[in-house]
Amino acid sequence: MTGFWRRHSIHGITGLLLLPAILCFFGLFFYPMLLTIVLSFRPEGQAVGWTLENYTRFLASPDGRWVILLTFILAVGSTALSVLLSVPLALTLREKIRGHRFYRLMVIVPLVVPGLIGALGLLLFWGTRGWFNLFLTQFVPFLPSPLRVNYTIHGLILFYVWLYFPYTCVTTMSALESLDQSIEEAGAVVGANRWQVLRYIVLPLITPGILAGSVLTFMAAFGAFSVPLIAGGDYRPLAVEIYKEISIPIPARWSAASAIAIVMGILQVAFLAMYMRIVRRAGGNAGAVR
Amino acid sequence: MSDAMIEFREVTKRYAGLVANDRLSLTIRRGELMTLLGPSGCGKTTALRCLTGTIRPDAGRILLDGRDVTEVATHQRELGMVFQNFALFPHMTVRDNVGFPLMIRNLRKEARATRVQEALRLVRLEGYAEHYPRQLSGGQQQRVGLARALVYRPKVLLLDEPLSNLDAKLREEMRFEIKEVVTRLGITAMYVTHDQAEALALSDRVAIMNRGRLQQLGTPEEIYETPNSRFVAEFIGLSNFLEGRVASVRGATMTVTASGLSIHTPSLPEVAPGHKVLLFVRPNEIEILPAATPADTNVFPARVEKTTYLGDTMDYRLMLGEGVELRVQADARHRYGAGESVRLRWPRVRSWRANEE
Ligand SMILES: Nc1ncnc2c1ncn2[C@@H]1O[C@H](COP(=O)(O)OP(=O)(O)OP(=O)(O)O)[C@@H](O)[C@H]1O
Ligand SMILES: [Mg+2]
Repeated sequence: MTGFWRRHSIHGITGLLLLPAILCFFGLFFYPMLLTIVLSFRPEGQAVGWTLENYTRFLASPDGRWVILLTFILAVGSTALSVLLSVPLALTLREKIRGHRFYRLMVIVPLVVPGLIGALGLLLFWGTRGWFNLFLTQFVPFLPSPLRVNYTIHGLILFYVWLYFPYTCVTTMSALESLDQSIEEAGAVVGANRWQVLRYIVLPLITPGILAGSVLTFMAAFGAFSVPLIAGGDYRPLAVEIYKEISIPIPARWSAASAIAIVMGILQVAFLAMYMRIVRRAGGNAGAVR
Repeated sequence: MSDAMIEFREVTKRYAGLVANDRLSLTIRRGELMTLLGPSGCGKTTALRCLTGTIRPDAGRILLDGRDVTEVATHQRELGMVFQNFALFPHMTVRDNVGFPLMIRNLRKEARATRVQEALRLVRLEGYAEHYPRQLSGGQQQRVGLARALVYRPKVLLLDEPLSNLDAKLREEMRFEIKEVVTRLGITAMYVTHDQAEALALSDRVAIMNRGRLQQLGTPEEIYETPNSRFVAEFIGLSNFLEGRVASVRGATMTVTASGLSIHTPSLPEVAPGHKVLLFVRPNEIEILPAATPADTNVFPARVEKTTYLGDTMDYRLMLGEGVELRVQADARHRYGAGESVRLRWPRVRSWRANEE
């Protein structure tokens, strides 16, 4: 009898403790989400009726498909560049070179600087009259005109990399850190040179870490909003497109915006699921790294 | 062709404020199995890593098969090494682990497969080629490590405490297995351990290290029978020590007074009455006799304080004369009880000049 009561009172307390979380979940997440889904199937500006038009209009138009493609180009491009940047950087910082602590700290600076401020700074730096072009025009002779970086796709990718590569870099560094030194030593003793140790031992062993970090970079880049908003110019990825639908037309086109948001969410979740499968397969072979 | 396979010449390695290897000189002969024995932190691993090239000595030279390799990169030294924590490649199967050194050397696929098969047979792991390291027991993993170290037929095999991560029974088994493999291949081997039983059982010669220096070098018998210092005597086997003064020297024997006893022992070179000496007796070199035994040279009365049954032997703590505690290990068939008066005979006593320490 007492056992019964104890069991149930614990359930009661657990439920009570969970209540705020459950309320928050429903109020802040589930309800708005449901509302967005419903809105995306309503004819624009109406509170009744069902339609698929919001989806078909967006997905069928060349503009809509370009927005999706652009979002992918930006996310994939910046993720790939982040990996290419992070691996050598992490390998370099692992050797205890002079000031490695300082550089390590610098890596996470973009994470603590608000995106908006970072983007403004980058715009100033890379602008046609910014320091970058000032330097170029001073030191590169016969340069016909300043290089355009701002408001281009490659410029946008550059900004994304600056903002989101720390995710990849930090996980790559920690994967390297947790690597057992004696495994590399063993590779060298049996005859592998530095490159062979890197290629056959270090890289395969840190790949799961790199992948796990790069998925964070990818997701951040895929959902980026403030940076493309102020630095994207005519290039508007999904998040900006959604914002455009509710901020420019009067009255705001809530249903169109909702449909794009749902498309974005589905793409994101689908991509994440695919990525996780790849990561798991890569991780399966490398085994729990020790 | 010279007799020396590995030569350390005055190798010194310092870490911030600490000398890990202090002008270490050591020669390992072709085909011999030498153990490097010493307490934790005495610089054994450091010496080994200087030899593999993982760290660079601050001073001194290292020669491998007559060639100065001090400046040669690790991967070009043609060494085989077995690690304490196995250090297998966790993302590769046993086959790929063992085949890795051959792959690096661009050996053709078929040749590689035969050599891997051979190496796995040598360590009795033929059936495990497709396993990953994490699917193997500690002993099996270390055998893979051994196969990987031997598959490319290196000049020398280095083993850094290869058995210390295994349990006692397996350790004993693997010890013989390693010895067998090394003898069969006739390879030169350098075996690092801090386990004296392992060192005595395995080696052709033992090098005892103390604080980064070579303390004594010799066969297991030499090291055990004639340790050159208190450090070595304490490190290898059990010992009783007694401080005393030389009373008289007569030819090859001298008499030493220690704790009120007159002890006869072989004399030391250039020793004179009045010199301080340190006497040393192994616990199994003392005979326990009944109290009625007549007085004789090196026979002293004592009282049993404590006994411990060790199976085949009895371990006694005895009180000798004026408060000197002795440890004796004797046959368990004839037992003496605590409190019993006995006589001890010391057929063999060794000594050093006390200032040698
Ligand atoms: N990378 C390092 N930095 C600073 N000190 C070190 C380093 N490696 C070793 N030492 C020091 O050098 C000394 C010798 O170390 P070493 O690893 O050679 O000892 P060991 O004889 O192998 O000991 P064990 O039996 O515990 O393995 C130790 O005092 C250790 O603290
Ligand atoms: Mg060691």
